[in-house]
Amino acid sequence: MIKQPNVILGNEELLVTMGKKGEILGFFYPRRDHAQHVEESVACIHTGEKLLWTNDNDWHCIQNYIEDTNIVSTKLYHDSGIRISILDLVHPDVPVLIRRFKVQSQKKISGKFFYYSNFSVGETSKKNSGFCDTDTRLLVQYWQNYYIGLYSLPEFTEWQIGKAMDTIWWTNSKYDMEDGKLQGNKEDIGNINNAAGWDLELEADGANEFVILIGAASSRRLLYKRIYELSKLPLEYIFEKTREHWVMWLSRKHVLKMPGIEGYDNLRQELFSAYNRALLVLYLLNDREYGSFVAAPEFDSNFEKCGGYGFCWNRDTSEIVLALKHSGYPEYCDTFFKWCIRTQLPDGSWFQRYWLNGDIAPSWGNFDYSTQIDETGSTLYAMDVYYKILEGLKKAEFLEEVWVSILRAAEYLMKRTKSGIHESCMDLWETYYGIFTYTNASIYAGLMGASHLAEENGEIGMARRWKKRAEFIKQATIDRFWLQEGYFAKGVINEKLDKTIDASILGTYVPFGMLSPKDPIERDMIQFMIENIQKKLSIPVNLNYGIKRYENDSYMNGNPWVVTTLWLSEAMFALALDTPYEKAMFASTEEIPDKKEGGHDENMKNLTGEGIKCLKWALAGATSTGLLPEQVDQSTGKPAWAIPLGWSGSLMLDNILLLDKICMRKAGSTKES
Amino acid sequence: MVRDLFMFAGFNESSQIVWFKIIYSKEPGSLSSIIDFLEKENAFVMFGHLDNITQKTTGEYSVFIELNKDVDPESFAQRIKELEVVSEVEYGISKYGMIYAMDFPLNVVGVRGVAARALTIVDIIKTFNQNAPHAEGLLTISGLKGGIHSAKYFKSILNLNDSNFASVLAELYRAVGWGILEIECDPATFEGKIIVKDSFIADVYGGSEQPVCAFMSGYFAGYLTEYFGKNISVREVSCKATGKKVCEHIISPAPSGGTSQEYQLRGETR
Repeated sequence: MIKQPNVILGNEELLVTMGKKGEILGFFYPRRDHAQHVEESVACIHTGEKLLWTNDNDWHCIQNYIEDTNIVSTKLYHDSGIRISILDLVHPDVPVLIRRFKVQSQKKISGKFFYYSNFSVGETSKKNSGFCDTDTRLLVQYWQNYYIGLYSLPEFTEWQIGKAMDTIWWTNSKYDMEDGKLQGNKEDIGNINNAAGWDLELEADGANEFVILIGAASSRRLLYKRIYELSKLPLEYIFEKTREHWVMWLSRKHVLKMPGIEGYDNLRQELFSAYNRALLVLYLLNDREYGSFVAAPEFDSNFEKCGGYGFCWNRDTSEIVLALKHSGYPEYCDTFFKWCIRTQLPDGSWFQRYWLNGDIAPSWGNFDYSTQIDETGSTLYAMDVYYKILEGLKKAEFLEEVWVSILRAAEYLMKRTKSGIHESCMDLWETYYGIFTYTNASIYAGLMGASHLAEENGEIGMARRWKKRAEFIKQATIDRFWLQEGYFAKGVINEKLDKTIDASILGTYVPFGMLSPKDPIERDMIQFMIENIQKKLSIPVNLNYGIKRYENDSYMNGNPWVVTTLWLSEAMFALALDTPYEKAMFASTEEIPDKKEGGHDENMKNLTGEGIKCLKWALAGATSTGLLPEQVDQSTGKPAWAIPLGWSGSLMLDNILLLDKICMRKAGSTKES
Repeated sequence: MVRDLFMFAGFNESSQIVWFKIIYSKEPGSLSSIIDFLEKENAFVMFGHLDNITQKTTGEYSVFIELNKDVDPESFAQRIKELEVVSEVEYGISKYGMIYAMDFPLNVVGVRGVAARALTIVDIIKTFNQNAPHAEGLLTISGLKGGIHSAKYFKSILNLNDSNFASVLAELYRAVGWGILEIECDPATFEGKIIVKDSFIADVYGGSEQPVCAFMSGYFAGYLTEYFGKNISVREVSCKATGKKVCEHIISPAPSGGTSQEYQLRGETR
């Protein structure tokens, strides 16, 4: 079952995904990738006549985050005049979701408020066990050492533990609510579900409040303790503590100024919000213990329509940790690279994707021909970028720590690029086998990075050898793949040059810097690529255009992607700064040369303007809560497929930081003149 | 129920299947005049449906007719229309002689229905049984929903009571081709049994070690639960697919009380 969220929240141990109406879609504990303990968890109202599920179509909803936090507000309106306000938050230190339901009605209601859950504790519906502890008023379900429990204030007065999918259907909690009263079964095993119930006595325009705590723990005792301790605290106190936690975390960010962007309506404020939201989302996708990130919270755990997203890809995560570093959070690089050292394969490469703890994940890249060499290139490149920004002793310590890993990875890349282009492998979109421009660019960057690190480590011979190969790769890629039409071919597929234009060729400039705008010819090449991608891959959606991955892309109907659109705008912004990409990203505004010739100013203005259009397009494709998806549905303009995608978030951060530099430089120039 | 539906087992190249929807005035002898006309024209009526109730002054006679290939349906319809008692004629051709419905879509117990080969549905059931965990429960719950809906529908259109609730269910089953039912159920004790002859599931499922009609048990349970306003358990104790002559489903009140042992020991209720 595909379960695409509209909002996510959590803390270091707990990640919760929810739909637009506040229904829980995913409840991940203790890691972001495992285990997902919830099939369904949603409130219902029995009006005295019938049961209303709060996630059905009769409800209108408004959902948003409380500003600069991962606290969620959901408002539901029913045609019958019932209104429900839900406030959802996860305590910053304890894996407990706290849900406050405020129920109001225009008419008198004498019915029930029910909270129904179908937990699949341990990510399995088999061999679960559930009970209602009537002394402590806790509904608990467990499997091995995973315990999920539900407590409420006021305490629930009715309950049911029943079979979720059995021939003895009358025990099923879902059906048990239909008649407005629960049977009160105390325990059961197998594939089970549960419901808790409260009297709902509402006068016209009256209100009732129910606070539900759903906690996770590794033992029954710990679960009881956690919920008991939290239940003693006033909700207002927990709310403030949680809000403060997020505000404090955001206070460490690189501060944006964005002078001179006021001309674009409300864009400045929108970008500030998007920047904060991307940071808050990435916090939730990261595993604190291991340093890895899920590409997106898993929403297709059965791999029904894709290969799943709840795993860590080196390609995505290398981009994410660098974006976080640029945004003021360098610690993510440090822990991720430690994870990389641990997860590197014996041949020096990195696997297609991993579980967050470093175990290899389900993969269709188990052989040399099906591996993705770009992931090794990206990782090496990111390590070098991180090294460059470290200072003093940390620099030496980091190099010491990663050197063996660098050596092994670089030799792997050498082994697989003897002819100057890489041996056949899988592309970054995980669709084609062959030789690819993007992959070659990533290997170029990886070997250049490795060469730099070798030089720093006193290994001059290695440095020279790796650099020579990197330059050979660059030349071979340009010679073999650059087309007179003004862009790189996608690559060689089935031993034929595939001239399909693919947005990933931007990788030759951003992030891998194989092409530099400092070289006039290469600058023209970058400019041509940008123009051709705009021309051939644009899809009009949401009153602007988004960029699809490549011509004839059929994955999920060939929608435009936020990733490729923000990739294009990032290239535009970097080029507008007229600086090699790496410098554009890292240098302070003062360090970026300020050219003032008229022609350049005009080009910078055009590039910036076009880049802003892409940014606005990406913002328009976000969820109502500001989560950036992987794609935008080309017919509806709504967020599509993986939501939120970490890679989209990291590109948003990079884009905003670059635009900030452009604004600052422009403001500086104006001030000087 | 299933109306205006015709299924052809074969295909005769020299003839054509044409349906006509004839609206006529409800006067004495008017229907006879239409039938006389058809007979004179050697039009072989294969299936007909008469609605003499819905409208006050007019009736609707829907017929599937086998006509020779050389007869032009349009002129034939025109000639029907020329009859004094006829006010309106619609017609359509079943080109390949397979299935045709005059009204689209079909309507079964108040909602859209579809016609399907029994094997099509049984293939779905088999796929569940072979691949899905808790397949029996899943099928029971699927059937349950259908049964609840049917009882709700019948309660809304007729006076469903202790004297007719069983025969309504039996008629429905026969009408949709699911099976021939013999129902014994005591409304006072909620106990009884349902014999299903020629269950469409068991008939085409093939041999099985286990009863295969959980979907029907669920359907019966849903229907009776909705009618009685009390949870009813229905379980299949013998099934044609296991080599028995007929399928038998036992009706009993669902155990209640939450914590009782009976409630929990599923073996007791199977």
